[in-house]
Amino acid sequence: MVAQGPPLNTPIPPATPPRTGRDKVESYLLAAPSAMMLMGIAIFPIAATAWLSLYRMIIVFHQRHFIGLSNYAFLLRDPRFWTALGNTAYFALLSVTLEVALGLALALLLDARVPGRALLRAAVLVPWAIPSAISSKMWAWMWNPEYGVLTHILPGGGSINWLGTPGYAMHAAIVVDVWKTTPFVALLLLAALQGIPEDLYRAAAIDGASPTRTFLRITLPLLRPALAVAVVLRTLDAFRVFDSVYVLTAGGPANTTETLSIYTYKTLMSSGDFGYGSTLAVATFVCVLAVSLLYLKIAGKEARP
Amino acid sequence: MTRRRALLGSFALALGACSRAAPEARQAGPIQIVWKTQPLGDPGPLRRSLAEFERRHPGVTVRVEYLPNAPGAVHQYLLTSLEGASADFDVFITDVIWVAELARAGWLVDLSSAFPERAVRRDFLPGPADAVLVQGGTYAVPWYADVGILYFRADLLPRAPRTFLEIAEMVERGKSKHKKPIHGYLWQGLQSEALVCNAFETIWGTGGIPESPDRIELTTPQAEAALRFMRALITSGVSPTSVTSMAEEESRRVFQAGDALLMRNWPYAWAECQSKGSPVRNRVGIAPLPTADGSPGHGALGGYQLALSAHSPAYKREAAIALIQHLTSYEGNLMMALDYARLPARKGPYGDPRMASGAPIMASLLPAMERALPRPVTPYYPMIDDTLAAEMSAAITGVRSPAEALRRAQALADHLVAETT
Repeated sequence: MVAQGPPLNTPIPPATPPRTGRDKVESYLLAAPSAMMLMGIAIFPIAATAWLSLYRMIIVFHQRHFIGLSNYAFLLRDPRFWTALGNTAYFALLSVTLEVALGLALALLLDARVPGRALLRAAVLVPWAIPSAISSKMWAWMWNPEYGVLTHILPGGGSINWLGTPGYAMHAAIVVDVWKTTPFVALLLLAALQGIPEDLYRAAAIDGASPTRTFLRITLPLLRPALAVAVVLRTLDAFRVFDSVYVLTAGGPANTTETLSIYTYKTLMSSGDFGYGSTLAVATFVCVLAVSLLYLKIAGKEARP
Repeated sequence: MTRRRALLGSFALALGACSRAAPEARQAGPIQIVWKTQPLGDPGPLRRSLAEFERRHPGVTVRVEYLPNAPGAVHQYLLTSLEGASADFDVFITDVIWVAELARAGWLVDLSSAFPERAVRRDFLPGPADAVLVQGGTYAVPWYADVGILYFRADLLPRAPRTFLEIAEMVERGKSKHKKPIHGYLWQGLQSEALVCNAFETIWGTGGIPESPDRIELTTPQAEAALRFMRALITSGVSPTSVTSMAEEESRRVFQAGDALLMRNWPYAWAECQSKGSPVRNRVGIAPLPTADGSPGHGALGGYQLALSAHSPAYKREAAIALIQHLTSYEGNLMMALDYARLPARKGPYGDPRMASGAPIMASLLPAMERALPRPVTPYYPMIDDTLAAEMSAAITGVRSPAEALRRAQALADHLVAETT
């Protein structure tokens, strides 16, 4: 005999808010540890950085005085900041576009029923699994103008120094980032692909739809939420990129691959200028926040029928 | 009620565990000096040296802690720990270019009592002495030194070039005589400290030596001519385009594989080129850097110093100074030269017969060391260093004209000095 619980149609009593003062205090106490952790890890550092950005603080000279928004006024006039912002935006735009396109193609391929599919899916994760500093070092040697394998097989041969020529270095860095994060996008989209019911494809096949039409009219619309998530996550990461570009070129040549994070790091750590460095960090945070709010707005518009 | 008490109790415990540990009081027992340094190679000889120090100073032990081999990471660590008044370490290494900065911040102990200025100038080479004698005191003690020198293929070139013009001529002749294609003059053009060293050496080679070591004079005709020369090396093919992404290691590898005629690098590359299995073993010569007028060139001064942290507790000070004296002594310098191939910072060891027999090439580098010039000795140097590298990289890759690049670098240097005084 199967064990009997309460009958299935018994109404579940609604959740009640704490009735007495004692219950309220208890509920606050229980929530306090996680709230404090969140404050400590997320809210407090952001607030502290924003507060520091209102100071002129150069630690070597023991300078620390309040200057209000002067740092921000300088930021708006700072050509190096605008160059870094431009570099970062270009990097994000190009790499996210390539990653999503390649990731989608990879996901479609991995969705097919081939023998060894599980092994293929695991193998595809390898670039994502290797720490970016290490894979960047490897790529730096691959782009090496004397011994690198890429400079030999690409057109132009050894005459183009990819990492040492302004203009080319940024694209070399984009290639490295695309290689590293396409698997992440691919797996995200693969999971969404597998959620699309088979019946739709069968119905489309019966109606005589070509593979292209099936893809455009059935697959793509149903993938839209997952695509949105992938694009948002990747854009946020691309805006904050640091280690893969820093290990590859250290921001060179002539600051043409300097991203916002690299400029912030150099200002904070090499110069010891904590005031302006915090300003740059807040600027990066604002950019990233703006991008995510924009995407949420677009995604929110679509979710509402 | 008991449940709430238990909750409150565990909450208070968790809060209590987060509190800061009390600072260490003077403990009974041996004094432990913590020394932050970089790994040099075989730890054996250094350990023996420290064991001897501990034997001579009973009651003192030395604990060695390693920092990464990247100068940027070491500088970052020093800035953040010294600003945070960390008492975790006592003696630590500093690069030549940080001493002025750290001394100005008040994080270094003035060691003039143990190392008075007269003695430092008498015993140590002029370059390292200039780097540590700042603000009227001795804020660090030179441990080992480094200087930029020229390497040349003695089997392919009759002698080393002495002037800038000779570089181009000898490279052309060497290339035409050699059957396989071979590169000409390798140097470090990657946007980094290495490029700044190379650029300053070329500026000094065109006669642009400032009146005093703490002046930053970049908008001189000599500096402009120097950067134009470096750009011309690349555009004319005397140096391959790959130099703009080369740091020390990349250029050494190409030269060691036998694919280049000339290379500018630090003395460490000599040991690598002479190692067993190296294609250029016994075929490499070294010489001073070339200049515009043919006089021997000035290499950039490098090397590391030992300093005492101002946050180190007072009771450890005497023992820490004794450790610094031991490591930077005449015998200490000899050990660094013979066991670790690091040039002595003292003048004496260069004439020692043990150097002549054990490390003759290093002994012959004394004239180069005496001519070595420091990069600007000013607390502002690490702040402008990054901009200097970017502007010089812009000049040699053709993004900006040398005049414009130097003007921008000088403007930033002036702005920083004006704002912080």
